[in-house]
Amino acid sequence: MRTADRTTEFVAFTRDHRRDLMRTATLLCAGDDAMAEDLVQTTLTRLYLSWARVRRADSPLAYARRSLTHVFIDETRRAHRRRETTSADPAGELVTEPVVPGADPDVRAVVLAALTSLGPRQRAVVVLRHWHDLDVAETARVLGCSPGTVKSQNARALAHLRAVLGAADHLLLEVSP
Amino acid sequence: MTPTHDLKDALGLVAETGRPVPDPGDDLARAQGAARARTRRRFRVGLAGLAVVSVLGVGSATLLDGTDQRTTQVSPGGVQLVAERFDAAPYSFDLTPRGWSVQGQRPQTVTIAPDDGSTSSHPDDFVGKLVIMFDANPPDGREVEHDGRTFWVSDSGGGYTTMATRTRGDEPAGVVRIQYPRDAGWDEDSMLAFLASVHVGDTAQLGMG
Repeated sequence: MRTADRTTEFVAFTRDHRRDLMRTATLLCAGDDAMAEDLVQTTLTRLYLSWARVRRADSPLAYARRSLTHVFIDETRRAHRRRETTSADPAGELVTEPVVPGADPDVRAVVLAALTSLGPRQRAVVVLRHWHDLDVAETARVLGCSPGTVKSQNARALAHLRAVLGAADHLLLEVSP
Repeated sequence: MTPTHDLKDALGLVAETGRPVPDPGDDLARAQGAARARTRRRFRVGLAGLAVVSVLGVGSATLLDGTDQRTTQVSPGGVQLVAERFDAAPYSFDLTPRGWSVQGQRPQTVTIAPDDGSTSSHPDDFVGKLVIMFDANPPDGREVEHDGRTFWVSDSGGGYTTMATRTRGDEPAGVVRIQYPRDAGWDEDSMLAFLASVHVGDTAQLGMG
């Protein structure tokens, strides 16, 4: 494959899909913009280095999203303890910050806080299942785990999100299991 | 503020940061810099005439690819096997898949992953990787003769193929298998050649299979 072709295709791909990757990364990182940008940069570099695989993929964007998720999981394995502190009962902690019914809560901040209180893999399951609409089998394939693990992680994550977001008067989530 | 009743809508609120999208040129420059660094690394490896073998513990990778090795086989999917021996004790290989690295090695298994970062860095996660296994279970599947030995090829499901052969007479008795993803550029001929190049050392242990 000629370098010029790879360059042209990479630039076009990045122009078309960087925003999509950044949105996914932002969700995976629970709003940590700097970490999300790092993940996207790392992912794009890896894609460029293996551009022949990207070209062969049925869906280059799906391939890129999968790579991004792997970069995220790898990063959280290395930096999980440093970057995130998980409380024993994050829902309870959030509820102690009262959301006044009828007031105008910052929904984004509430959702961010809810996502932050999930573990990285649970967050990845939520993003893949409910943002990218992947089915259980495909989510399991991306994360390298069993479908059963995806189902249980998803159920726990949704229960947690419902508990946290339900505390905010406006956020009564309707999601399919 | 509009009430949000749907998880996807809620995620959409978080996902959209409103930040401008950087020029692709920045990403291109960064990626090309990484490509140049990789080329320089390979060139150094070539000058030394050695495969770089670095074992840095669990999760680390062993760089196997070089540039001056003789390519012996290229699969239609693009994986190149070069005539370069490498060790992943207690196993050794006469052929090296360019662009793939040893990620984990145990007495029962060796995990080899693509260098492109498309797979997990965890050696016990086999998705998208080659896994060489040693066990005592009888081989099954379609029989194929290669280089005077019999191999068995079977579909493992989920887009994976498993290939097996009995160990050589001077190796510990058992069956050595390789499981590979069919969408990663490997074809049967190249994988046959690769599996045929595996040597099982005395300290290998039979896995449960």
